[in-house]
Amino acid sequence: MNRNLYQPINGEITDIIDESSTIKTFVVVPEENFKFKTGQFVELTLPGEGEAPFTPSSSPAVTEQMDITIMKAGRMTGLLHGCKKGQKVGIRGPYGNGYPVNDFVGKEVYIVGGGVGLAPIRSLFLTLVDRIKDFKTVMCRYGAKTPEDFIYKNTLFGSWQKIEGVDIKLTVDKANGQWKDNVGVVTTILNPADVDIKNAVAVVCGPPIMMKFATLKLLEFGFAPKDIYLSMEKNMSCGVGKCGHCMIGKYYVCKDGPVFTYEQIKEYPNIWD
Amino acid sequence: METVFVSQLKPFLDAVAGQMDLYVPKKAGQHYVFNVYDPSATNEVELNNIRACTPVKEFLFPLRELAAAFPEPFEPKQIKPFAIFGLKDCDLRSIEVLDKVFLEEEFEDPFYVARRQKMFIISSDCFEPAESCFCNILDGQPYAESRFDLNVSQSTGRLSAVKDGFIIEAGSRKGKDFLEKHSQLFTDIPEGALAERDKIRAETKKQLEQQNAEMKFDTPIRDVMTATQDTDVYDEEAKTCVECQACTRVCPTCHCFYLYDTKQKDYFGKMKMWDSCMRLAYAQVAGGANPRKVLGDRLRHRLMHKLAYFVDRYGINMCVGCGRCVDAEAGAVDIRNVLKKLNEELKGKSKKEVKVAK
Repeated sequence: MNRNLYQPINGEITDIIDESSTIKTFVVVPEENFKFKTGQFVELTLPGEGEAPFTPSSSPAVTEQMDITIMKAGRMTGLLHGCKKGQKVGIRGPYGNGYPVNDFVGKEVYIVGGGVGLAPIRSLFLTLVDRIKDFKTVMCRYGAKTPEDFIYKNTLFGSWQKIEGVDIKLTVDKANGQWKDNVGVVTTILNPADVDIKNAVAVVCGPPIMMKFATLKLLEFGFAPKDIYLSMEKNMSCGVGKCGHCMIGKYYVCKDGPVFTYEQIKEYPNIWD
Repeated sequence: METVFVSQLKPFLDAVAGQMDLYVPKKAGQHYVFNVYDPSATNEVELNNIRACTPVKEFLFPLRELAAAFPEPFEPKQIKPFAIFGLKDCDLRSIEVLDKVFLEEEFEDPFYVARRQKMFIISSDCFEPAESCFCNILDGQPYAESRFDLNVSQSTGRLSAVKDGFIIEAGSRKGKDFLEKHSQLFTDIPEGALAERDKIRAETKKQLEQQNAEMKFDTPIRDVMTATQDTDVYDEEAKTCVECQACTRVCPTCHCFYLYDTKQKDYFGKMKMWDSCMRLAYAQVAGGANPRKVLGDRLRHRLMHKLAYFVDRYGINMCVGCGRCVDAEAGAVDIRNVLKKLNEELKGKSKKEVKVAK
C-alpha cells in the first residue's frame, strides 16, 4: 500500500523574509529532500491549526529547502504571518501538473503576473532562466498595487533585468514620488508588438480579476486559447482529486492543474470568481 | 457451487455472523437502517424491500476520522472483516463510484482501502420500490447481477406455489468460498424457482419503469446536462432549497470531505470529515473569492458533477437513482424534476413553458 497521502512530512521554517506589508517569504526545510516541478504546489500544515495550498516560489533545482511566498489574506495565512523562525510545519505534495516547460521550448514566453501571483512565476522564471537558450525570449509583465507592493524587489529591479534574453516591464496601479515607470493595471503594459504571437505562449498568474482581463486582452491580441496557460487558484484541500473543493467542471485543479490552458476550462461556469 | 437455495435466512446469516461482523437492515419508522446482527435476538431476518435510508458510504468512509497526526505520523488501523446484508443494486453502484475516487492507482486512500478490502457484500433484490426510486433511468435495476460477493433473491411467496425460499448466488471468489465452506446449509435450487425469481424481478422492473415513465430521455443524460448548462432551472429550483445539506449527507456517492487540524492532549490531528458542496463557503478561497456564491450555481455544480463531470472523467454516472435525496430533503428540490425540466428545455420548449410545467 502507498504511504498515507494525508500525512505530511515534517519540516521547519528556517527563515522569514518581509517582501511587502502583506507578503512574506518563508524558507521551509523539509526533513527529507523534496522534489517538485515548477508550478506544482504543496499543502503546508501548521500543526493543530490548519492547512493551505501554496506554490513554492523557489527553483525546483533546490531540493533541500523551498521558498513559499505568502500573502496575508485569511485565517491560515494570518497565522503563518504570525510564525517565527523555528516553527514546525508539515508539508504534503508536491501536487498537480506544474508548467509544461518543455512545451515552451523554441518559443517566446510571455509571462503576465500580478501581486503575489509573482510567487509561482518566480519559480517558473528561475527554471526558464536556467536554460534560457532553449527559449526565444522570456518576457515578464508584472504589476503591483504600489511600488512598495512589489515582491522580490532586489532581484526584480536588479539581477533579473540584466539577464540576456529576458525582458521585464513593470507597472503599478498607484504611483508614489519615486516611481518613474508605467502607471496602470497590468493590461496597460501588454503590447502585441512585443510578441510574435503565433510563436509564443502566454503564462498568466495573479488575482482572479487580473487573470480574467489579462486573458481577454491576450485573446484580443490573437493568442490561441490553447497557448494561454493559467495558474488557477481554487480551494485545493486534499491535493489528490478527491475532496472536491477545487473543481472546475470535470477538472480537479489540485490534480489536473493548477496550470490549465484557457482552452481546457473556457466552457465551464464561473472560472474567474 | 455458484447458486444455492435456502428456505430460511437465519441459518445463513448466523453462519456469516460466525465469521465476521454482520450488519442487517432493520425497520425504523418507514425506513430501513443497518444494525449489528444479533443471532440470539432474532428468529427471522427482515428482507428490506428497498435500500436502507442511510448510505453504504458510512461503512467505507466514516463521517469523521483521524487521517494524519503530528509529530508522530498516523497510519490506518487494521479493520475487522465485516459483512452487510441487504444492499441493493444502487448501493453496489455507489460503491463502484467511491472505488473510482478512492482506489485511484496513484492516489489510493489508505483508510478507504483498509475497509473496502474487509467488506463482504451481501446484496438482495428489491421488491415494491419506493416512490422516490428512479434507478432505472440511470443504468440501474432493482436487482444486482454483479458487484456483490453474495446476492439473495426471493424466489417465491408472492407469485406461485413453488416452495418459499431464497436463492443465493455467488458473485466473487470470496462469495464462492463462503458457499462451499457452508454447503451443508444449502440445497439445490428447486425446479421452477429461478423462473419465479426472474418473474418477480421483471415485475419490479416494470413497476419502476411505470412510475418513472415521465422521465424519457432521447438524448443521453450527460448530454442533456451539458447542453443545458446555462439554464435558469437551477436558480428556479434553488428557491425551494433550504440549504439543509441533507441531500449530500444521505447521497451514497457524494464523497466530498473537509480536512481540518485539531489540537489533542498529546498530539495534533488532521481530521477528515464529510463536507457538502451545497455549503456557501465550500469553494471559497482566502481573500473571499468564491466561484459559487449563488445557491443555484451550487446546485448546478452538484448535479453536473453527478451526471456530466463524473461521466466525463470516469465513464459512469455519479447518481445511482436511489432517491434518498428526494426523501431526505427538508426543502423541495427534487432531482427528478430538475432532470425533467432540463430534458424539456433541451427538446426546445420555451423557458416559459418549462417554468409553467413545474
